[in-house]
Amino acid sequence: MNPAAGYAALAAVTAATLLIGVYGLRISRTTGDFYVASRTVRPWWNASAIGGEYLSAASFLGVAGLILVSGVDALWFPIGYTAGYLMLLLFVAAPLRRSGAYTIADFAQVRLESLPARRITTLLVIAVGWLYIVPQLHGAALTIRITTGLPGWIGSVAVAVVVCLSVMTGGMRSITFVQAFQYWLKLAAIAVPVIFVLLRLSREGLPWTDGGAAFAAALDPETNASLYRNISLSIALLCGTLGLPHVLVRFYTNPDGGSARRTTLIVLGLLSLFYVFPIIYGVLGRIYTPDLAAGGADSTVLLLPGRVFDGALGDLLSALVAAGAFAAFLSTTSGLVVSLAGVISQDLFRGSVGGFRLSAVLAAVVPLGLALLTSSQALAGTVGMVFAFTASTLCPLLLLGIWWRGLTAPGAVAGMVTGAVLCGGAMVAGGVLGTAARTVPAWLEQPAAWTVPAAFLVTVAVSRLRPDLAPAGAAKILARLHTPERPHPRERRS
Amino acid sequence: MTGEPAAGASAPSSVPSAESSPAPGRPPQRVRVTAARSVPASAAPYTVSRELDEQTEVGEVFIGSLIRSQLRLALVVGGGFMVILLGVPVLLAFLPVISGLTLLTVPLPWFLLGVGVYPLVIVCGVLYVRSAARNEQRFLDLVDDA
Repeated sequence: MNPAAGYAALAAVTAATLLIGVYGLRISRTTGDFYVASRTVRPWWNASAIGGEYLSAASFLGVAGLILVSGVDALWFPIGYTAGYLMLLLFVAAPLRRSGAYTIADFAQVRLESLPARRITTLLVIAVGWLYIVPQLHGAALTIRITTGLPGWIGSVAVAVVVCLSVMTGGMRSITFVQAFQYWLKLAAIAVPVIFVLLRLSREGLPWTDGGAAFAAALDPETNASLYRNISLSIALLCGTLGLPHVLVRFYTNPDGGSARRTTLIVLGLLSLFYVFPIIYGVLGRIYTPDLAAGGADSTVLLLPGRVFDGALGDLLSALVAAGAFAAFLSTTSGLVVSLAGVISQDLFRGSVGGFRLSAVLAAVVPLGLALLTSSQALAGTVGMVFAFTASTLCPLLLLGIWWRGLTAPGAVAGMVTGAVLCGGAMVAGGVLGTAARTVPAWLEQPAAWTVPAAFLVTVAVSRLRPDLAPAGAAKILARLHTPERPHPRERRS
Repeated sequence: MTGEPAAGASAPSSVPSAESSPAPGRPPQRVRVTAARSVPASAAPYTVSRELDEQTEVGEVFIGSLIRSQLRLALVVGGGFMVILLGVPVLLAFLPVISGLTLLTVPLPWFLLGVGVYPLVIVCGVLYVRSAARNEQRFLDLVDDA
């Protein structure tokens, strides 16, 4: 595509992000604003912001790429990404909002009354966040390479720098505006080009699905889908969404538990709407860009408009898609950096704003190093691994902490460590086997189906072993998590 | 409040209240922004659980039944969704005939997984939000009557 259009698109997105961030700085005055936007964000704003933050490189580029390569089995990724929010709505949204904690580490400390449990949770949150940022930066590298022809590392560095600047200046409140804007930008950027493409194909009598040929078997013979793989992936995505740090912190910006639920419901609608489009790209890609299946399938969304249109319109549509992709990396990365910075600064720097800014840099620089040292895999797949890890570690803590009075600090720690060791071990073993022999058994490649139950079992068993260690205030805290708020004359006005 | 860093125990929610009464016509005073190291109790919204603290026995019964009914609701909705969702691949694995059916050239598995699941997700969500709010309202009514 035309590099000039690419430069213009990326510059426009970056400028809009920074401008909204600076605008946010002027109204971001208190600690509450900085960390959780004073908990007064309206459901529609908040839902758009959650959508904007959640739709990452994996959703924007990865889903279409996977559909191109492996066909119908790839549809499980968008299903899992969306249904994860249903699980969040059912089991976590309102109680978590009522917990009154800023971060998941705070939740662990309040619920378990234990500093060691807090420390372990903090470490896991940081690990999850770093692992999740890496594929975003890989996506940025890919986009820069394709749209401008520059070396990919410039994209990774640019995203990290822009995110650090906007997070350090604005905090959570401005980030909420930025993220909400970026959901609608992403939706427009992925929907408008594909609508143009479909219109043109109909007018010229070109096939949409090639008489069903687009739905034929996997283009890449190496993908060996199985029932186990699909079920394990669903478990990873459904349970993993619960524990993602940037997802959790968003729920604290709702005014109360009921609005946290309404927000989540809107998010379900927004995500369902969005995922229609990557699926269409994937199907069209099987006819118009099948060469990408051999390598670089993640660039399907970026290249498809240019394959159907040439000239100025092709450049314009390609630039729009590139802008949306860049917005995806920026918003997910900044959401992660904000929540990681919140966790790091509270545990390391006692929660000062200076510490928050330093933590933001720390939260972005480490994954930047990792991204520059590693090469990009299939984006949706790498992100799926992070979900499996989260599902095996933070999900048992949250679910049992919210619903089971008998959870003890040793039980929670044992469960998290078990999940981290099993799932992390499977990821490392799978990676080693993958480079050595290229055949990875399904149970190593998609470990969630056995690591998540194992983590739950260990958590419950260790808690049951010494029921006397259950925190004294557990009943009181559960009551706080589950009883509805009521307008109160004294505290009404905040 | 000016100059002094807020003490570790002070709640962030107390900051807006200090700021909310500026002299008329002047911008609000600058305050140093810090966060409490652990969770401030007053950051939580006012909940009925506090109201019930004094009358523990009745409160415990009410809250216990609220938690159980919310958990039951979540498990029923979530379980129903999972059965339908995981039913699709199981059905496809044991009845491969289905994969051959098409709808406007779109094979049925693509249709079910690419389009059909999303309305189901939203319906489950709406059902849950309504029922959960109803459970909470019933609980509030009970507390008021007691």
